[in-house]
Amino acid sequence: MKYAYYPGCSLTGSARKLDKGVRTIFARLGHELTEIPEWNCCGAFEYGDRRELVEMSRTNLSKAAPVTESEAIVAPCPACYKNLREASAETAHPVRHPLEILGKEPLSPSLIKRDLKGEVFTPYYGCILMRPEATAISDKQVMERIITGLGGEIEGEKVKARCCGGNQFFINRRSTERLSRMVLEGSRGTIVLFCPLCHMALTSFSKGRRIIYFTDLLLHVTGDGKRL
Amino acid sequence: MPKIEALAELAGYRREDFSVCLGCKICGSVCTINDLSVSANPQELLMKVFLQKELKGDDPVVANCTNCYNCTEACPWKIRIPEVVRALRKELAVESPFEKAFKASVALLGRVYEPYVLLRALPFLVKEGYLAYVTRWTEYITFHLPHKVKGAGLSQPGKEVIAGREPKARDRKAKRAP
Repeated sequence: MKYAYYPGCSLTGSARKLDKGVRTIFARLGHELTEIPEWNCCGAFEYGDRRELVEMSRTNLSKAAPVTESEAIVAPCPACYKNLREASAETAHPVRHPLEILGKEPLSPSLIKRDLKGEVFTPYYGCILMRPEATAISDKQVMERIITGLGGEIEGEKVKARCCGGNQFFINRRSTERLSRMVLEGSRGTIVLFCPLCHMALTSFSKGRRIIYFTDLLLHVTGDGKRL
Repeated sequence: MPKIEALAELAGYRREDFSVCLGCKICGSVCTINDLSVSANPQELLMKVFLQKELKGDDPVVANCTNCYNCTEACPWKIRIPEVVRALRKELAVESPFEKAFKASVALLGRVYEPYVLLRALPFLVKEGYLAYVTRWTEYITFHLPHKVKGAGLSQPGKEVIAGREPKARDRKAKRAP
């Protein structure tokens, strides 16, 4: 399948690991990602004028238009995904989160080089993949299904949709610290997530906990590296 | 205070969209900032907006909203309170130096170039003790040059009605495609 790809700003910098992970996993699944040319920032949650915010995403959608064969626009960062999806209501391009695609396409046995037996994971979705319902991903158990399918054990159900306070991280870090600690305390094992901001917030306030992108887990399972 | 019509429009609403609020305060019950020992009352905030009462930047919800959308999800009318808060933060000029640096980067390059944002917000980050986390940020540090998006200075606010906006609060059955 061919997809248009919107990496977003974080994935060109601090979340480059997520960018590489998405590109590699999609390639292994036989998908072709074509980066939207000259994409611009989606505005994240920083703009108080909704018209301005929607216009930024519309601009991105119009830049994706020449990728006519693409099935959908794939946006891994939850904030980018939400903004693009809201603006896409009237365009021909549906916007999808990678989890929506990965959830419908089990890894073929030939790709699986390792299992997750004996390992404990807390799949952490955070806010924007779960709420509001109009833009949330439909399968809210997708990471659990994939991890248990690979033999891993699931914990931390109660905190999977809690807010880590990441949005306040560079405004009032003490607020973020309290909220992130609640997530960390309610989780067990390796925290698996998709949001670059949650990754940074939880990593900043954890002491040695393993916090990984879901794509890191898939890369491990499909044979990359020695350990997670 | 900006006029309610202008404020509602900033958040993608019309004034009358807020009149449907039943006052059930479930938004306050589920608000994340309760966990910060801050008394959250988004419903009161919404009513203050609706009734054009004075609002300040240090209102607990305006100052602490994490954009978690718990309120929207619980609201019988699915009112997007975080977006009303963001409109208020804009109008009340409540922005941290980091947020200003973020927007400056987008205005200059069309994207957020993290080194630029960090350098521009450096005095704030140093003063507020963010350097304490740097040792935990090693995996985030990558070297890349900035890319200026063609046509950056890009985002001109559209004048027309927003096509991507949420269905009207009163039209609960309306669903957004896809």
